Amino acid sequence: MTRVKFVCDTERCIECNACATACKNEHEVPWGMVRRRVVTLNDGTPEERSIATSCMHCTDAPCVAVCPVECLYQTDLGIVLHDKDICIGCGYCFYACPFGAPQYPRASLFGSRGKMDKCTYCAGGPEPNGSEEEYRKYGRNRVAEGKLPLCAEVCSTRALLAGDGEVVGEIFRERVIHRGYGSGAWGWNTAYYPEEDGA
Amino acid sequence: MSAALRSGRRFTGYRVAGAIAAVLLALVMAWQVYELFDGDDFTRPVVQWGVPQDGAELSGVLAGEALAARTRLQRDRFNSGPAPDADAPSLAYGDELFIVTAPLDDGAVLTGAWARPDEAAAEVARPSDRVIGISSLPYVNADLFERPFARDWRVGIADVATHLGAIAIVGFSFLLALMLAVRGRVPILHGHSDRPRVKRFGLLERMVHWMTAVSFIVLALTGIVIAYGETLIAPFSRVALGDIGWLSAWAHMMFFPSFALGVLVMAVMWTLRNLPERRDLTWLARGGGFFTDADDSPPAHKFNPGQKLVFWSAVLGGLIMVGTGVTLMFPYYWLDLGGMSWAMLTHAVIGVLLIAIFIGHIYIGTVGMEGAFWAMWGGDVDRNWAEEHHKLWVRDLEQGANRSPAE
Repeated sequence: MTRVKFVCDTERCIECNACATACKNEHEVPWGMVRRRVVTLNDGTPEERSIATSCMHCTDAPCVAVCPVECLYQTDLGIVLHDKDICIGCGYCFYACPFGAPQYPRASLFGSRGKMDKCTYCAGGPEPNGSEEEYRKYGRNRVAEGKLPLCAEVCSTRALLAGDGEVVGEIFRERVIHRGYGSGAWGWNTAYYPEEDGA
Repeated sequence: MSAALRSGRRFTGYRVAGAIAAVLLALVMAWQVYELFDGDDFTRPVVQWGVPQDGAELSGVLAGEALAARTRLQRDRFNSGPAPDADAPSLAYGDELFIVTAPLDDGAVLTGAWARPDEAAAEVARPSDRVIGISSLPYVNADLFERPFARDWRVGIADVATHLGAIAIVGFSFLLALMLAVRGRVPILHGHSDRPRVKRFGLLERMVHWMTAVSFIVLALTGIVIAYGETLIAPFSRVALGDIGWLSAWAHMMFFPSFALGVLVMAVMWTLRNLPERRDLTWLARGGGFFTDADDSPPAHKFNPGQKLVFWSAVLGGLIMVGTGVTLMFPYYWLDLGGMSWAMLTHAVIGVLLIAIFIGHIYIGTVGMEGAFWAMWGGDVDRNWAEEHHKLWVRDLEQGANRSPAE
C-alpha cells in the first residue's frame, strides 16, 4: 500500500523559495499564511543548510488526535486533511504539530484565530474532488489527477521530493550513497516513525 | 429544643434520585476507565483513495501505482538517463480526475504498518530532535523546523487533561451521588427554628456570587463542548459539533470578563474571613460533620474550612484560568510557542479540576444540605442551621451586637 511522504535534501536545497511561492500561487493561499516555507540552519557558517518544510502528513498524526471538533482526518495515503466548515480555530493542532504547520488568519476580534489552513499535499479537502468549492477553501487537488505536490515537482534542484514513500526513500538513499556524504532525512523519525524514537 | 434529632435518611426521594444517579455515573466511569486502557488512542486513516472500477470497489492499488510512477519521475539523471520522462508509465500523466475518495472502515492496520520503518528508511531517517533555524518570512514561528515536544503535548491534552479530567469529574460526581443515596441530605438536626432568621450574605455579596456563578457555568459548559464535544456531540452530528464548537469558542471569550471581575471582587470581599486557622485542622479531620447526623459538628466562623477551600479554589484557580486564558487569546504576545503550549495545558487541567470541585460546591449548596441554598439566594438562614454549622459566627454576631456588623 502506498504511503506518501515528503523529504528535503539539505545538501541540495538552495533556499530559492520556489516551493513556497509556487504553493502560494497554486492554491491562492491568503495573505499572512504560508503552507510551505524554507528554514535556514546554522546561517552564515560552513554548516549552513536550508530545508523546506510544511505539514509532513505524520503517522499517528498528533493534530488529528487533539482536534476537539474532529475536523482533521487522515487518508489511506497518509495525507492529513481538514474540514474548514467545522474548524473552530482553537489552535490545538498548532501546539500538537511537531513542524509548526497549521496556519491561522488573524482576522477576528480579541486576537482569536480564524479557521485553520495548512498544506493539503495538493489533495484538497472533504468537498467533491476538483470542485469549485474545494478549490476555494483548500486550493487545487492534484492528487486526484494522479499528480504530486507542486512544491516538489517545481523544485529546480530536486531537493524537495514528494510521492510514494518507498520510491522517495530509495531516490534519497541512492543519492547519499552516490555522493558519499550528506545528512539523513530530516524530520522522518518525528513524522513517520514516532515509536522508533522512544517518543 | 426537641430531643429527637432529625436524620438525613428521611429524604427518601432525594436518596432514590441519588442512587439512580450513582448507578448511571458508575457506568460512565467504568466506560471512561475502559477508554483509558483500550489502546485505541492513535490516529487512523478514515478516508481511502482509489481509481473507480467497473464494480463498485475503488482500486487503491491503481491509485498507488499512478502516484509511484509519477514519483519515479523525480529520480536523478545519473540513475535514469538524460530524459527520465521517456520511459515513464502512462499512468504518470493523468490529465483528468481519475482518483477519488471514499470512506475507509478499518485504517488502524495502516497506522501500525506505517510506524515500522523498513531497513532502508531506518537507515536514512535522522534522529528526532528540536531544530530551529532562521527564516526570511515575517511570521511568528516561521523559523521552526522540528519540535518533538509537540507529540508529548498531544499526550498531555488528549490523555491527561481530557481522559483523566473526565474521570475526575465523573468520579467525584459518583461519590457525591453515592453519598446522597446512602446518607441522604445533611439535615437541620433540630428542625426549622421559630426564632428570626439570621442575615448571612448582603446584596453585594450575593450579586457578585451569582454573576461569577453564571459566568463560571457558561465557561464550564462551553469548555466541556471544546474538551468533550467529540464524545458528547460528534456521534449525533459532526456539522452540529462544528457550529456548537464555534459558538462555544466565542461564548467562552464573552463570559470571561464578568468571571474575572467576580473573582477579583470576591477576593477583596472575603479573603480576610478565609485565612486558615489552627482549628480548621480539627474540622477537616472530622470531615466537617458531613458524614454523621451527630449533634456535635465542629464549630466554624462565617466560613468553615470546606468553604475556605472552595473560596481558595475559586480565587487561585480562577486567577490561573483568567491568566492563562487571556494569554491564549493573544498568541505569542508575551509567550513563545513553548510557553503557549504550557499555558494551554495548564488551562485545560485546572479547568477540569475546577469543574469537579464546583460540582461539589453546587451539590452541597443545593441538594446536599438542607437550608444551605437560602444563604446565597435570599441572604438569610434558619437560626438552627446557623448554630449547627457556624457556631462561632453566630456567637460573634450575638456578642458583637454593638460592634460593627458582619458585612
